[in-house]
Order: sequence, then C-alpha cells, then structure tokens
Amino acid sequence: MSLTRRDMLMAACVGSAALASAFPSPGSTRAQDDTAQDDTMDLIERLTGQTPTLSDRLHLVMPAVFPTGYTVPMDLDINSPMTADDHVRRIRVFAPQNPLIEVASFNFVPQRGIARVSTRIRLAEPQYVVAVAEMNDGMLLMTKTFVDVATNGCI
Amino acid sequence: MTAPKPRVLVPSAAGKGEVIRVKTIISHQMETGLRHDAQGQVIPRKIINRFVCRYAGVVVFSMDLHEAISANPFIEFYLRATESGRLEFIWEEDGGGVYQLEHQLAVA
Repeated sequence: MSLTRRDMLMAACVGSAALASAFPSPGSTRAQDDTAQDDTMDLIERLTGQTPTLSDRLHLVMPAVFPTGYTVPMDLDINSPMTADDHVRRIRVFAPQNPLIEVASFNFVPQRGIARVSTRIRLAEPQYVVAVAEMNDGMLLMTKTFVDVATNGCI
Repeated sequence: MTAPKPRVLVPSAAGKGEVIRVKTIISHQMETGLRHDAQGQVIPRKIINRFVCRYAGVVVFSMDLHEAISANPFIEFYLRATESGRLEFIWEEDGGGVYQLEHQLAVA
C-alpha cells in the first residue's frame, strides 16, 4: 500500500508534537528551516520508529532549482568503507510534499560495491527531499536538500 | 505501449577490486495511478517497482522503486569487480512483468 501524504497528515493530527510545528512563527526564514527540520525528523520517526541523526557523511545532491518536476536528477552517496563490520544496508528517499511520499529504497551489499547511486525523480512542488541511511549497527543517518521545481511532476 | 526496452552500459573488463560504474535505463511510462484519462477515469498504476543486479548469481545491488521515480527509470550504481562472471540486470513490473539483460564481465 503506497504511503500517501494523507496517511502522514492523519498521523500528524493524532500526534501532538506535530501540531506545534505546523504553525511556524512569521518572518524569519531560520524559523521556517527549523520547522522543516522538525517535520522531517518527525516524519522519519513515524516511518521507522527510530530517531535519525543528521549527518554530513550522507550526501543527497540535487539541483537547488530545476525547471521541471518530471525528471529531477538525484545523486546519493555515503561515506562508508562498506566492510562487513561497517556498511550501509539501505538508503531510503522521501519527498514529503508529493502525493505519494516514498521515492525509492536502495539496498547495498558490503564489499560488493560502493554506496553511491544516481537516478531521476518526480517532485510535485518545491520541497525538502529527505534521505535516510540505515547502517549495519542499526543507526539511522539522515540528510535533506531543498529543491525548487517549477512544475508539478506528479500529475 | 511498446514493450519496455532495457539498456545497460557496463565495462566488459575490469581489474580485480576495481570499482566499475553501471548505468541502466528502461523505457517505461511509470504510470503513477494518479492521472485521469479524457473520460475522467483513473489510469491504473503500472510501474517498474524493483531493480536487481546479480553478479555471479549473488545479489549485489537492488532498488525498490515507487511512483516518484521518473518515467524511463534511470539507475546508475557502482560495483566492485571481484571475479569474472555474469552480470544479470532484472527489472520487475507491477503485475508480474520481468525484463532482463545479461553481460559478461572479465576480471583480470
């Protein structure tokens, strides 16, 4: 069953923490950024049951501005030795403002490759795209990047 | 719709332990199930939902695709050349369709 934005919004209405973050203070863009951060962490916690850690080991590279939402390039890589003791199991990508928020899940195998991948995705509107990496020790690393698309690529 | 056509760009030879880049694409509408036709009926979802790469029979990379992946899904990934063997690329579609390609990799 695809994870729709409605599912997430319904869950948010039930959760009290999300209500507070739904009304950002007017004016300052920093407040908006913090709100987006809260929303993102909240989203990942609800999806995975775990609290992720913002990490600069995980790189989600996407254009800041892009003329179409139909085929936005996405490069994803993580600084990891990919040994049996220290590797990333999978990286999940979400677009929280899309009608269906799950984008992809990349599954890696230690010693058989490097954790680096590229693809192209659809975005419905300008938003933060979120990546969550599950490490072999169970830790969750996350990062996000803002992409300003000019058209809705989901319709 | 014509049959989805997969394509792969991968070196045919590599040094042992070398990291090789694999580029794949498959022609596919990736119908999201969110669009409507001229009569107002919902066009049902039909997407490639999974991609798997096997190297000498072992899965070395896989990807679960959802509706937000663009049409004609492009996937670029990196493998370590460990031994000479067969690389298999498999795309699975909603409804059970499967598309495959194979390449031989010679590792020095």
